[in-house]
Amino acid sequence: MKKKYVYILVFVIIAILGYNSVYFKKLSVVKNAQKENFDFKAYADSIYFKGILKSKKTIALTNLITSVKTNQEAAFKKYGNRLGIGNSAYFMIQSTGKIIDIKDGVYTIADKKNGIVYIDTKYIFGNALRDASGLVKLTDFKTNAQFNKVSESLNDIVRNEVIPKEIKKVQIGDSVSFSGAIKLSKKQTLFTDLLIIPSQIKLQ
Amino acid sequence: MKIKHLSLVLLTLVLVFGCSSKEKSEKPKIAVVVSTLNNPWFVMLAESAAENAKKLGYEAKIFDSQNNPAIESDNFENLISSGYDAILLNPTDSDGSISNILKAKTAGIPVFCMDREVNADDAATSQILSDNYSGCVSIGIEFVKELKEKGKYVEILGLVGDNNTWARSGGFHSVVDKFPKLKMVAQQSGDFDRNKAMEVLETILQANPDIDGVFCGNDAMAMGAFQALQAAGKETKVKIFGFDGAGDVIEKIREKKIVATGMQFPIVMAQTAAQYADEYFKGRRDFPQRVPVEVELVNAANIKDY
Repeated sequence: MKKKYVYILVFVIIAILGYNSVYFKKLSVVKNAQKENFDFKAYADSIYFKGILKSKKTIALTNLITSVKTNQEAAFKKYGNRLGIGNSAYFMIQSTGKIIDIKDGVYTIADKKNGIVYIDTKYIFGNALRDASGLVKLTDFKTNAQFNKVSESLNDIVRNEVIPKEIKKVQIGDSVSFSGAIKLSKKQTLFTDLLIIPSQIKLQ
Repeated sequence: MKIKHLSLVLLTLVLVFGCSSKEKSEKPKIAVVVSTLNNPWFVMLAESAAENAKKLGYEAKIFDSQNNPAIESDNFENLISSGYDAILLNPTDSDGSISNILKAKTAGIPVFCMDREVNADDAATSQILSDNYSGCVSIGIEFVKELKEKGKYVEILGLVGDNNTWARSGGFHSVVDKFPKLKMVAQQSGDFDRNKAMEVLETILQANPDIDGVFCGNDAMAMGAFQALQAAGKETKVKIFGFDGAGDVIEKIREKKIVATGMQFPIVMAQTAAQYADEYFKGRRDFPQRVPVEVELVNAANIKDY
């Protein structure tokens, strides 16, 4: 008889311990909590340093322009990234040239192969870098607000940390290599005076 | 006896063919549920969605939710019981509309959201939305440049329960907040309504008569802001920015009375939603949850293209 009570007591203790050591939550609740605590800065760091800087998708600007002129549809599909519906797409490009002017954060570059291009080191905002990289999918995030936070963190890194250090080393007359995002429209026929949102500017 | 058999066969044939011809004549029905018909932009969205659905061979009817989630809920209950086969929805509330969408989903009716996002990625079949954030980043850059990085400004928000309000505000502030000499002296909701925005700005101007710019979450409110500034004799001093690409604001940009707007494409969104419903009826099930539609900046430099 006593043994029976001992077994019941052991069972109750095990049940209490078991109940308190395991928690069940809805998967959607857990996923939401994960996204809310998501470290956008760390994620953007990884996108920039491990993704954008090492990307094989970056194309020489002159090759991109040639491709677009030859077969716009194919060039947009192969090198561009457009989320959803629209006439334009973002491209990650690289090129070289000589700085001929600096005004209000805009570096005017004489690019031997592509004429004059502009690098905007001040207004590094929006989704240009994120989308040109092609590394982040809309479906990776639950809402557009979270998806846009990736851009904000990525832009902060490039605008506040990377580019200020790099432009300290360059001045008018210097030859530089640069990479960054450009937006091209399918309606576009001229490829002069292109504006580049930089991801990197290096003294050659 | 033979006549009796023959008449039975004929009756059966009439019933069978009669029923099948009725089935053929019953087109699938598409409901267009729109947040409000009190704003020309949404009228265009709703009419365009219904027109595209009809062009694809379906019956279509527009339901007005009058910016009220409870009326939207009633609309959903009515159209579910009336046997509608798909819903093209412009939601009233990013959270409040989710339960309505789920009701339709439970009833096996696909819902395609247009223009306004709901805060769930497992309710609607697909959401076709303007890329409000990117559009307002462009407006933010234009705003900073026009105000030469300094001055006082007012923001008139849209409906506070609408995600578009915050996506627009977020895109704008992602730029403007990085320029510390730009001070926001007031941020108030104008409910996307022209008259409300006019009244809101009139009140703000009493306490802040020296503002340099106004950013409005839509063009109807930009027109209201213009009226308020005109009444105060400040319409040439204060720079106004809107969002939508409405005809009257495009004219005001041409006349250099409003600086810029973000051109949305409601017809593209409506067309895509109707097209998706058609594809759903034909068996497609793998729709992208969110489809952003590009927004174009319209200002004095490119107004000739619009």
